[in-house]
Amino acid sequence: MMRLAGLYALAAAVVVLPILWPDNYFVIVVGASAGLHVILAVGLNLLMGYAGQISLGHAAFFGLGAYTSAILSTRFGWPSLAALVASLLAVGVLAWLFARPILRLRGHYLAMATLGFGIIVHVVLVQATQWTGGPDGLSGIPPLNLLGWPVDGDLQWYGVIMAAMLLVLWLSLNLVDSQVGRALRAVHGSEFAAQMMGVDTGRAKTQVFVVSALFAAFAGSLFAHQQAFVSPDSFNLIVSVELVTMVVLGGMASTFGAACGAIALTFLQQGLVVFEDYEMLIHGALLMAVMIFLPQGLFVGLHQAAGRWWRASSRRL
Amino acid sequence: MARVKSSSLSADRSPVMTAFPPSTLPLLAVTGLEQSFGGVMALAGVSFQVAEGLIYAVIGPNGAGKTTLFNALCGFYQPAAGSIRFADRELLGLPPHRIAACGVARTFQNLQLFFNMTVVENVMVGGHLRAKTNVFAAALRLPWVRRQERCLRDWAIEALELCELGDCAHHPAGALPYGLMKRVEIARALAAKPRLLLLDEPAAGLNDTETLALRALITRIRASGVTVLLVEHHMPLVMGVSDRLLVLDYGSVLAEGDPVAIQTDPRVVAAYLGGAVSYAV
Repeated sequence: MMRLAGLYALAAAVVVLPILWPDNYFVIVVGASAGLHVILAVGLNLLMGYAGQISLGHAAFFGLGAYTSAILSTRFGWPSLAALVASLLAVGVLAWLFARPILRLRGHYLAMATLGFGIIVHVVLVQATQWTGGPDGLSGIPPLNLLGWPVDGDLQWYGVIMAAMLLVLWLSLNLVDSQVGRALRAVHGSEFAAQMMGVDTGRAKTQVFVVSALFAAFAGSLFAHQQAFVSPDSFNLIVSVELVTMVVLGGMASTFGAACGAIALTFLQQGLVVFEDYEMLIHGALLMAVMIFLPQGLFVGLHQAAGRWWRASSRRL
Repeated sequence: MARVKSSSLSADRSPVMTAFPPSTLPLLAVTGLEQSFGGVMALAGVSFQVAEGLIYAVIGPNGAGKTTLFNALCGFYQPAAGSIRFADRELLGLPPHRIAACGVARTFQNLQLFFNMTVVENVMVGGHLRAKTNVFAAALRLPWVRRQERCLRDWAIEALELCELGDCAHHPAGALPYGLMKRVEIARALAAKPRLLLLDEPAAGLNDTETLALRALITRIRASGVTVLLVEHHMPLVMGVSDRLLVLDYGSVLAEGDPVAIQTDPRVVAAYLGGAVSYAV
């Protein structure tokens, strides 16, 4: 029960917030955007935080998921749910093909290769005009239709994205606390010892790469149907870097850490809009402050500090 | 439960025992193993045999090729020549995880614990080969995955208790004192339920009390039916615990025999023990 306590707390917050503040832009619209970021960050965290494999091209899978869904549902008239499933399959297969050669690389080399992958995908999205609409993007993407129930309006989208987010969090928590998850953490801890315990490290890394790409594609497909419009700029290098920032900001190797980082960064970016010209300045300064004072990340650092405070105060009693 | 293999560390090995009676066929037979690093022969045609159920020690001065031998046995190096027969299978050329699947487990000279996990999780990774979960079933936490988790946890606790580590199961691995960390490595290797356990300098950095406890532990491991291959510098431990010894010097075998024979072998005394030294057996 304790294992999923955080998930239940989050689920309660997701339900209570729109009841307390219905029609609040920050809850409904920014909240939905944060939900998509949580899905992306939690997936990336499986790869980076748990398995210790860096990816600077994660936005590419986000974009491929979005564009596959968009192209299938606009140009081929596929039902949106079928397009979503197809985008998951397509990205899953692509990630699997790509994983084997690329995950032989380590550290900076892996970062370079994933960076390259992200750039290539972005270039393809811009250049393959007859399919992707080029820099102008694709519009008129139909909303998601869940077996006869069209998802329309901000509140409905909030519900769907939050449900998807909770599902992804649940899957991630399960995965981490399983034989597969321990094998991944073992690869991060000592690849040498992991192999000697019988872990096929190449296979373990491939699996987590595919899972994390699937989460990104899932977020991408939801994003495309929610926005009804996609353009390459939503999936460029800066987005990849932001995703890495979310994971590191929240705290590596913690599912709720990644989720917390995603939520914090999304609201920070929205909240700082009022500062106009100084937005990026304050944004950068806050990130630096967090990394200096809470090097384990916002969530993990505060969680540990709370634990220490709790133990100290119970000792005093 | 069909996916879960037999449930005890010391489960009987009767089918194996009938196929390979310990007295006739060796569990491990290394022949003419050669490994060179840029012209330096780290192993120059090493041959030896280990019968099942023994504690077999490999000794020799620093640089004699002991750890190289271990790394070759585990598949981290690819020796240029030779053969490693283990329970009638050829290990040479297999990747480490396949060798582990044949029933070989090891500990490391410089700790290779997973510091990002708790003690029990470390040991559960040791049981990795005894359960098979796929990524989708694990993400959905299907009922059989949950049952398997319980088995893995039970096996891990069992291995921890054999190593007298039951109390620190839920500590982070990195928070333990050094002596206990070395023990966790042994527990982790035992959780794989190996037929052959390679211990690479298990006494390095331990104090006298811990070394005595280690000696008792190694004896218990043998009693549970696991063959132990031991690389160690601590002579009283080696001489006290081993059934047979192999002495390496400059990558080749200097002598092989029981502790008494080794201690009285003039070549060994000259090359390694350095004079008339004797240790109580």
